[in-house]
Amino acid sequence: MITDNDELKDFKLRPMKCECNYLNRSDGSAILSQGQTVAVVSVNGPLDIKMQSQSIGKATLEVLFSSKGGKPSIGDRYKEHVIRQTCESAILGCLYPRTGITVTIQELEDYGGFLACCLNACCLALLNAGLAMRHTFAAVSCAIDEQGNIQLDPAPAQLETSRATMTFVFESREKSLVTAFTDGSYSDSAYSEAMERCRSASDLVFQFYKQIVSKYSYVIG
Amino acid sequence: MSEVYKLIHPVKFFNDYISKNVRPDGRSFSEQRNIKLNVDAIKTADASALIKCGNTSVICGIKLELATPKAEEPNKGFLITNVELPPLCSSKYRPGPPSDSAQVTSNIVSDIINNSKCVDLTDLCIVPDKLAWVLYCDMLCLDNGGSLVDACIITLMASLKTLRLPTVTYDPETEDIKVDTNVQTKLKLNGLPIATSFAIYKYMDRNVTLVDPSSYEEDMCGGLGANLILCYNKGFLCSSQKFGGSNFSVDCEEKALKIAKERAQLAEEVIDVCIKNYESKTNTV
Amino acid sequence: MKVAVGEVVLPGDQCEEISLVGEKSKVILGPGLRKEVDGITITKAGTLKKRSPNTYWVDNYQKRYIPSRGENVIGVVVQKAGDIFRVDVGGSCSASLSYLSFEGATKKNRPKVNIGDVVYAKMLVASKDMEPELVCVDSHGKKGRLGVLEEGFVFKCSLNLVRKILNPECPLLNSLKNEWPFELAAGLNGRIWIKAKTMRETIAVGNAILGCEYLNTDEIKSMCTNIASILAGHVS
Repeated sequence: MITDNDELKDFKLRPMKCECNYLNRSDGSAILSQGQTVAVVSVNGPLDIKMQSQSIGKATLEVLFSSKGGKPSIGDRYKEHVIRQTCESAILGCLYPRTGITVTIQELEDYGGFLACCLNACCLALLNAGLAMRHTFAAVSCAIDEQGNIQLDPAPAQLETSRATMTFVFESREKSLVTAFTDGSYSDSAYSEAMERCRSASDLVFQFYKQIVSKYSYVIG
Repeated sequence: MSEVYKLIHPVKFFNDYISKNVRPDGRSFSEQRNIKLNVDAIKTADASALIKCGNTSVICGIKLELATPKAEEPNKGFLITNVELPPLCSSKYRPGPPSDSAQVTSNIVSDIINNSKCVDLTDLCIVPDKLAWVLYCDMLCLDNGGSLVDACIITLMASLKTLRLPTVTYDPETEDIKVDTNVQTKLKLNGLPIATSFAIYKYMDRNVTLVDPSSYEEDMCGGLGANLILCYNKGFLCSSQKFGGSNFSVDCEEKALKIAKERAQLAEEVIDVCIKNYESKTNTV
Repeated sequence: MKVAVGEVVLPGDQCEEISLVGEKSKVILGPGLRKEVDGITITKAGTLKKRSPNTYWVDNYQKRYIPSRGENVIGVVVQKAGDIFRVDVGGSCSASLSYLSFEGATKKNRPKVNIGDVVYAKMLVASKDMEPELVCVDSHGKKGRLGVLEEGFVFKCSLNLVRKILNPECPLLNSLKNEWPFELAAGLNGRIWIKAKTMRETIAVGNAILGCEYLNTDEIKSMCTNIASILAGHVS
């Protein structure tokens, strides 16, 4: 890790808590809370799926998102799209041809940075399911306020006063950008700066993953 | 012969082109397709535009309606955008309820319009809490040849630019509404958001950024639609979305931002020229 | 990130140690490792293990079975289709088991296998592109320990738990077998079949196995004595 401690203090994210294998019957699952934002993700697969949706070269990834209200909306489709594209770039689907992998996300609490929390929970659930992956990924959200200050992992109060919010997903190998989506308008320089800040902060998420995996790895073998 | 080669070795076929620094349709990596724009394509709509950008063609129609504003936002009107992807436009889509990709595209387009704040919704309000305009902006894709969001945004903005709101008088006592179509005002627009799509392909160890990808290129880059969409409005970014495709390094990012900025200016000129021509024509008739 | 043997690894980490060894001699890459252009990459989260001289793998947590050649698995017969039985082994598609691949089976003399029977079989063919195939005989045509499992009780658990209890260093089975007699068949697909004299004893074995998932060696030993004393106390 190149970042020294002084810098790390600057990149503070809300406290993360996670329980892997939270759901008994799915192949992999995780509940993750980032601050007060909570999401549960369950991963099932590789499963047998109907002929129509099988693809001969790789696993078919299906993402289902259900919001707290349970009523499907266009916004949910967008979230599914974001999560599917992110997971697809991470999973080594070519090892499981003609099968399906289902990722189900349930919203529990949304207090800012919800989609980032979902994505991180997805990564933990995929690790828990033992699916082969190219890399892990970490999502970090940030908000830019009227003065142009960047606030990492914003709380709802900070979101209200912000002019733009952004979420970036980085992969673990070279910290290159996997997924990004933004809200609001902002300048190029703010965008680049926010991305760099989030990139550095993604280290914290990767450390957290390692900590979670370490917790159970030594005893299961 | 090349068709057979393309079928048997789809990836190698594409790689062969990329290694020669050219794209399958003969463009260079950062070259975009020509934009052909035609405004007022549907006479029965209140405003409309038709765009052809390479093989992608999208038609946009705006319908005006009057409604009561929402109680939470009594001084705001409504701008409702919707993108339709009928089976006509590509073999990927089936008839029936809107597919996932249509919903995702709709969502991206409406997000861009909302984030850019190019239409001030308070302008659409006629009498607070009583009467406001609803702009139903329907975009129908006739042919999906890639970079759909770009085309949707351009047609939508061109239509909005030609839109004229009739004068409405509202009598608070009798609640009588009078619409005078003879006196029309232009809709005020704050800037002109222009989106630029990119496909990102990993060839050997380098990332190749393809500007304004065709649907074939989008498929090869593994995304549903474009991998990266950048949207500029008055020099400010108002949307940046990246999904799938190859992972993205910093220098590619800077290059993409620059290209998007240039394209925003170019597209803006296209729209301006097109509307100027249209207006001069309608005035002379 | 660079990692070494014995460490906790995450997908995307790279292990230089293996590629260095690989330059000199043959290396066997087990589950969770993948050769790429620029070295050996980890694909699963867990601990990186090595067995001398040069076999490497990642010990990870997993519940879903991916068929792999040569493994002994426990499956349930779900369908009889002509010459083959379809067996559910917990993978993405059911495995096939020919009726001729039982000891002494001929076209005339069919083995007695019914739908719903539990079989202990070996994976003969397991490839990602093909349907897995099981056999209940070894290469000499002998059944050995394979075949239909009569009576008993089957339960599911995670794949790493099966590997853990089968590990010779794990004290669980050694401790339990001294306490009371039972039969056990462990399928590497995360299914364990047990049979003891009484229901109480069967449940005790099952609970002991499930209970040891997150325990270390010493804790397993104390748990076994604990269960034995409870069982003995009630029986006598």
